[in-house]
Amino acid sequence: AVMDPALSTDTGPDGGVHVKDALSEKCQKLFLEFLEEFQSPTGELVYLADAEELIRPERNTLTVSFVNIEQYNQPLATTIQEEYYRVYPFLCQAVRHFARDHGNIPASKEFYVAFSEFPTRQKIRELTAARIGSLLRISGQVVRTHPVHPELVSGTFLCLDCQSLVKDVEQQFRYTQPNICKNPVCANRKRFMLDANKSRFVDFQKVRIQETQAELPRGSIPRSVEVVLRAEAVETAQAGDHSDFTGTLIVVPDVSALASAAVRSETSSRLTGREGFDADGVAGLKALGVRDLSYRLAFLASHVAPTNPRFGGKALRQEDQTAESVKNQMTVEEWEKVFEMTQDKNLYHNLCTSLFPTIHGNDEIKRGILLMLFGGVAKTTMEGTSLRGDVNICIVGDPSTSKSQFLKHVVDFAPRAIYTSGKASSAAGLTAAVVRDEESHEFVIEAGALMLADNGVCCIDEFDKMDLKDQVAIHEAMEQQTISITKAGIKATLNARTSILAAANPIDGHYNRSKSLKQNINMSAPIMSRFDLFFILVDECNEVTDYAIARRIVDLHCRNMESVQRVYSPDEVQRYILFARQFQPMITPAAREFVVEQYKLLRQRDSTGSMKSAWRITVRQLESMLRLSEAMTRMYCSDEVQPKHVKEAFRLLNKSIIRVDSPDINFDNEEDEQEIHGTRGSVGRNGIGTSAPKAVLKMSFAEYRKISNLIVLHMHRMEEVDEEGSLKKSELVNWYLKEMESEIETEEELISKKTLFEKVLHRLINYDHVIIELTQTGLKQSKNGEAPTTEEDPVLVVNPNYTLE
Amino acid sequence: MRCIVFCIPSGASQNSSDSGWEAKVTEFFRQRLMEKDAHTWVPSLNDVPLHYLKPNSLVKFRCLIQDMFDPEFYMGAYDTVDPSTKVLRCGKYKDVTECGVDLDSANMVTSERQTFYCVPIPGESPWKCMVFYAGARVVPSTSYVPSRQKRSYEDDDEDDMDTQPQAQGHAQGNGDSKRQETEAPSGQKASSPPLDLNFPLPGEKGPACLVKVYADWDSFKLNDTMEVYGILSVSPALSALSDQSDTSSSLILDPAECMETAEELRVHSPPASLVPRLHLIHTQRLAHNNPLLPPAALEDSAASLASTLGEMVSVRAELLAYFTQLLLGDVLAAEYLLLHLISNVYARRDVIPLGKFTLNLSGCPATAGPAYTEQLYCALQQLVPSAYRLSMTLQNMNQLRLVPRKDYVANRLLSGALQLAANTSLYLDETQLEQGQLDPAGVRNITALGNVISWQKVDYDFNYHQMEFPSNINVLIASEGRSLLPSDCHVHLQPQVTPPNMEAYLGSALTAQSSSQLNKFRLYLTMARTLDYSISEEVTKAVEDDFVDMRKDDPQSISADDLHSLLGVARLLCLSLGQSALSTDAWSRAKHIETLRKSRSEPQGCLNGNEP
Repeated sequence: AVMDPALSTDTGPDGGVHVKDALSEKCQKLFLEFLEEFQSPTGELVYLADAEELIRPERNTLTVSFVNIEQYNQPLATTIQEEYYRVYPFLCQAVRHFARDHGNIPASKEFYVAFSEFPTRQKIRELTAARIGSLLRISGQVVRTHPVHPELVSGTFLCLDCQSLVKDVEQQFRYTQPNICKNPVCANRKRFMLDANKSRFVDFQKVRIQETQAELPRGSIPRSVEVVLRAEAVETAQAGDHSDFTGTLIVVPDVSALASAAVRSETSSRLTGREGFDADGVAGLKALGVRDLSYRLAFLASHVAPTNPRFGGKALRQEDQTAESVKNQMTVEEWEKVFEMTQDKNLYHNLCTSLFPTIHGNDEIKRGILLMLFGGVAKTTMEGTSLRGDVNICIVGDPSTSKSQFLKHVVDFAPRAIYTSGKASSAAGLTAAVVRDEESHEFVIEAGALMLADNGVCCIDEFDKMDLKDQVAIHEAMEQQTISITKAGIKATLNARTSILAAANPIDGHYNRSKSLKQNINMSAPIMSRFDLFFILVDECNEVTDYAIARRIVDLHCRNMESVQRVYSPDEVQRYILFARQFQPMITPAAREFVVEQYKLLRQRDSTGSMKSAWRITVRQLESMLRLSEAMTRMYCSDEVQPKHVKEAFRLLNKSIIRVDSPDINFDNEEDEQEIHGTRGSVGRNGIGTSAPKAVLKMSFAEYRKISNLIVLHMHRMEEVDEEGSLKKSELVNWYLKEMESEIETEEELISKKTLFEKVLHRLINYDHVIIELTQTGLKQSKNGEAPTTEEDPVLVVNPNYTLE
Repeated sequence: MRCIVFCIPSGASQNSSDSGWEAKVTEFFRQRLMEKDAHTWVPSLNDVPLHYLKPNSLVKFRCLIQDMFDPEFYMGAYDTVDPSTKVLRCGKYKDVTECGVDLDSANMVTSERQTFYCVPIPGESPWKCMVFYAGARVVPSTSYVPSRQKRSYEDDDEDDMDTQPQAQGHAQGNGDSKRQETEAPSGQKASSPPLDLNFPLPGEKGPACLVKVYADWDSFKLNDTMEVYGILSVSPALSALSDQSDTSSSLILDPAECMETAEELRVHSPPASLVPRLHLIHTQRLAHNNPLLPPAALEDSAASLASTLGEMVSVRAELLAYFTQLLLGDVLAAEYLLLHLISNVYARRDVIPLGKFTLNLSGCPATAGPAYTEQLYCALQQLVPSAYRLSMTLQNMNQLRLVPRKDYVANRLLSGALQLAANTSLYLDETQLEQGQLDPAGVRNITALGNVISWQKVDYDFNYHQMEFPSNINVLIASEGRSLLPSDCHVHLQPQVTPPNMEAYLGSALTAQSSSQLNKFRLYLTMARTLDYSISEEVTKAVEDDFVDMRKDDPQSISADDLHSLLGVARLLCLSLGQSALSTDAWSRAKHIETLRKSRSEPQGCLNGNEP
C-alpha cells in the first residue's frame, strides 16, 4: 500500500502475478537506449567501455552518472528518481541486455546498476515515510559494519517429498520457500531443501550510518539508519568514514512492500523469458492475530562515495576542490553573502570580531588565529620535500587570561577541530596508538587527536604539562604532517595535516618578564621553532582596557544578549573561509623583494641584540612569514601575494617574536639570559648576587623604571647645575641612599639597598645603555672579554640619546 | 475527574485519520489536567508499582530523557483482515494490533512516531518521593481494584468507543495474571537475565519507560526532565512478539530478516513488564524539580509566592544558622555553601556558562573518617531535590563510567554518572582519595569532572567523535587540602568548635530540624534559584569604577577573572536575599566576603598548579 499506487496491477483471484507494468517497461527501453547512445562531448560512447568490463567475473555493477541521464532525457531521469524502487529491476535488466550485446556473458549472471552524482542530498533526519521508494542520496558517518554475507537472490529448492526441483524462487530480503511444490501430484508446502549450488547469490552487507555532527540539532542524539549494500557496493565503506549513499528507503519489515517486490521480481523474470514460476513465496508474516504495529526504515543503497564536503558537511578543506566548485555548491544567497564579504573594506577586523565576540582585546591573537584558519599553501620543493602550509600557534599566558577560551572558541567554530589537554593525554592519545582489538584480537591503529584533526585544527591546552617525550612525538606531526608508528609489527605513516593551536602556562604560573620566552615555558627548542606564532598574554594594567574589560564582564552578567556582537554569523565566516581556502596564491616579485628586505631587517635586529627577542631569527621564521602572507592573501581572496599582505604578516610575526617587552628585572638570572641571546659579549658579574638572599634581588619593571628615572632626573639636574662637574659612581650611590634614608632602618637594609642600587646601576650601564660609564679601560674590555672594572670609581653620564618618558 | 481510564476513540477516526481528533484529544487532556488538583488524580509510575497500574490507563511519569531512539513507523490506520467485519482501526497510542491486518488495504496509513528512553530523574532525594507520595490522590490501596471490577469498567468504555472482540478481553486478562505471576513485587528482574536498565547512577531503582511521542518530538532534548502523561502499555504480546522474531532470525541465509541484531532487540524492545511503554498525550516540562512548588513556571503563581518572598530574609538567616552548625561554626563557609546551593547556569555566552558556582570546601576534618563528609551530604540531600555523592576513591575514578558512551552494538547510549538532570547537586568527596595510579579511564574521568566544573558540559563519547552536551550541575567538592579539581570558589573550613563525637554532634543537628522547617528551607532554595536578576545602569557604572580603582591601587589584587567571579558572588548574594537587582550594598558585601575568603586560602597558595 505504501509503494505502488501507480502500478497497474492485474491481480488474479489467486493473488497471482500477472502484472504488467508499462511504465517500468518503457523505462527499461529508454534506459537501454541511453546506455547505447549517450556520448561524451568528444563523441565517445560513455558506457561502452564500462559495459565491456562487466565480462570480468568479479564485476557486476554498472555505475551510471545521474547527471548524464538528466542530460540525455530529463523525463527518464525524473521517472527514475520518483519511481526508483519500482523501475530498479527493469534498469538492471537493461544493463544486462546492454552487457550481453557487447560481450559474451553467462546467462545466469545478474547485473546491477548504480547511480552516481545524484544532485540533491537529504539529511538523515529528513527521511520520512513519504520518501520511500524514490531515489535519494543521504550522507552520514559509518558507525558499524557487518560482515559481508552472500544473499540468496534466487533459490533452487529440492522438494523433500517428490525430489523434484523448484527453480528460480525469487528472494527479497527474506528467506522464501516455494509456496507449493510445482509437481501437480505433490502437495508439499513445507518440506524443501535449498540447493545452494544451483541458487544464485549476491554479496550483501549491512552497515549503519549516523547523522553527522553538523546536521545534528543541539541537544539531540544522532539518528541512525541501517543501510543495505549489495553487489559491488559492499566493503566500500569503513567504520568511521563519512560517505554518501545513493539508493532508496525501504521499510523493514513491511510485508506489503515485500509482497509487491516479489511480484515485481516475478514480472521481470517473466519478461526475460526465464523459466517462469509462481514464486509467490512471500507468505506474509505468520497469520497472527496480534502483530507489532511498528516497523523501521532501512536504506537500500546501490552506490557509495566519500562525502563531498558541502556546506552542510562543514569540512574546511578538500584537495580536489576549486574555488569554482565551492562556489557552485553554494546557494545564490550564500554566494551573494560571500561576495559581499570579499568587498568588505573592514574584512580583517570584522572577521576577527565575529570569530571571538566575547573575548575582549587581544587583537593580535585573534588575527593570528584567523590567519591560521585560512592557512598557507602547502608546497613541495624540487627535491620532493614537502613544506607545510598549516600555521601553528602557541599562546603563553598567565592563568586567568583567556587562553582556554580562545581554544574553546576555535573548537566550537572549526570543523574537524579537536580539543585535548596536554595534562590528560599521553603521546598515544595525541598521535596514534596500536591497540589490540578485543573481539578479533587483531592489532588496529587507533586514531589519536592529531589524526582525528587531520585537515583541521588540533587545540592542545596545557601544552607545557605534556611530557617532554610526548612533545617529541608530536614534533613530527608538526613539521612533516605525518605520524609514523612502528609498534607491534605495524609500520605505518599516517596523515596528520593539522594546524596546532596550543596554550601553555608559564613555568612559574605567571609570566616572568625578566626571563626570556624559552625560560618561561617548559618546551624544547625544536618544538618551539615549529610554532609560527607565539603570543604572550600578560595581565596588563591600564585604565582604558580595565574599563573595557569591566564593561564587557558586567555586560556578560546582565541578561543583555546584545553584548554578543557579530558582524557575520559563524556559518557565514565558515563558508567564507572554505571559499577563500581554495585560492593558491603565488608570490609576486614585488612581494618577494619585500619579504627579503623584511627578513634582513629581522636578522639584523636579532644580531644587534638591542631588542630582547624571543628566539633567534632563522629560516623558519622566513617560512612562517611566507605562510602568513599567503594566509593573508587568501583572506582577501586574491591569487597574488602583494607586499601589503607581507607587511601584515611581518607585523604579526614581529609582534609575536618581540613581544617580550618590559620584563621584570631579576638580577640573579641575567647570566642565563646571556646564553639565550648569545649576541652579547660576556658582561661582568660581581658575584654579590649569588650570596645575597634571592628575594631581595628581584624588582618589578615598574620599580626599576622608577629608580632609573630618579637617577636620570638627578643626573640631569646635576648637569644643569654644573656643566663641568662630573658625577662619580660612588657619589651617585651615596645620594641615592640618602634619598632612601627614611626607608632604611637597619644596617642590613642599608647593605641590601646598596647592593640593589648597584645592580640597577650596573644594568643601566651595561644592558640598557642609559648611563655611560667613562673609564679608561672602557675600550679594551670588549677586546679581551674581561669583566669591566668595577673597583674604580668611574664617572657617569646620561646617554645623550636617552629621553625621559 | 473520574475518567482516568483512557480509551482510544478509534471509532471516531473512521474514514478519516486527519479529522483532527488527535489535536482534540491532547487538548482535552491538557485542559483537564490544568484543573486544580487534577494531576494528582493520575497515578504515577514513580510511586505506584507497575503491577498495580491498569494497562491502557492514563498514568504519569516524572522522568529524564536518557536516550532517543530512531524514529519508528507504525500503521496509523489499518483495516482488519476479516472481510465480514472490515473496520478501519487506529494504531495510534498502541503497540500491537489485536486482530489480523489487511495489509493490502488502500486505507492503510503509515505514520511516524519517536521513542524516547526515559528513566526516573537520577538522584532524586528520598524526601521528595515522600512529598509526592503524600500529595498523590491515587495510592495503590485506592486505585488498585480487583481485576474483575476493572474489566467491567473497561467494557463500559468499549461500548461507546470501541467494539473490540471479546477475545481481546481474554488476552488482557491473561496478560494481567501473567504479569502478576512473573512479577512478584520483590523480583522484578528475577525471571530474565538482568537487563541493564541504563540508569545514570549506580544503585538506582525505579521503572524505566519507553515513551512514544507523536508530535513535536524535535522540541525534546536529551536530559530534559519532564512529567509525561500518557497511556500505559504493558501488553505481554510485545515481549512475545520479540521472542518470536528472535527465534526466526536464526536462519543464516536471512541477513535482512531482522534489521536489528539480538542485542539491539533486547535494548529496543525490552519486556514490557520491565520497561513499560507510555504513549504520550501531554507533557509538563519541569522548570524545577521541587514538589513543594507548583510545577509550572514561577510567573504563573507569583501571587502565592509573594508571601514566601517576604520571608526569604528570615529563612535565609535560619538556614545560615543551620549550615553554620553543620560546618562546625564557620559562618563564612556556611554563607558560601548557601550561595552554592542556589547557583544555576542561567545563560551561556558562547562557550562561557554563567551562573555556575562550584564550591571547594577544603579542610574537612579527616580524623573523623568519612563520617563528616558523609553526614554533611545527608544534610544537603535533605534540602535539594536531587543529589548524588561521588566518593572519589581511586577505584571509583578508574572504574566508574562518568561519561555516557554510545554503544553501537546495541545502538544505545550507555549512561554515565554525569548524565544528570539540571540542578542536580553533585557532591564529590575527595577525602576518600588516596595515593595511587590513575589509569587512562581514570584520567578521562577526572578530565570529565573538570570539564563539568569549568564549562558545564559533558563530552559524550560517540567513539568516532565526541559530542558536547551542556550540563547544569551544582558541584560541591569536599576535600582536606585544596582539591585537585578546579573550582569557582575555594573555602578553607575553619572549625570553631571541635565536638568530641562528630557523629553525635551532626546527628543531633540533623534531627533538630523539624520537617516543616526543612520544607521551608527546600522551598527557599528553589525559590532563590529561580528569581530574576538584573544590574541597573548606575550600579554597572559603580562596579566598573570600583574595578578600575582597585586595579589602579594594586594590579595584582584583582584580575578580570576575579571581577567575573565577584559579580557571580554578588548575584547569588542578592538572590539569596530575595533581591532581584544588584545594590551597591550587596556589591560591597560580596567584596567583603571574597576578601575574607581569599585571606584564608592565601597561606595555602596555588601550589599544585591548578588554575583557580
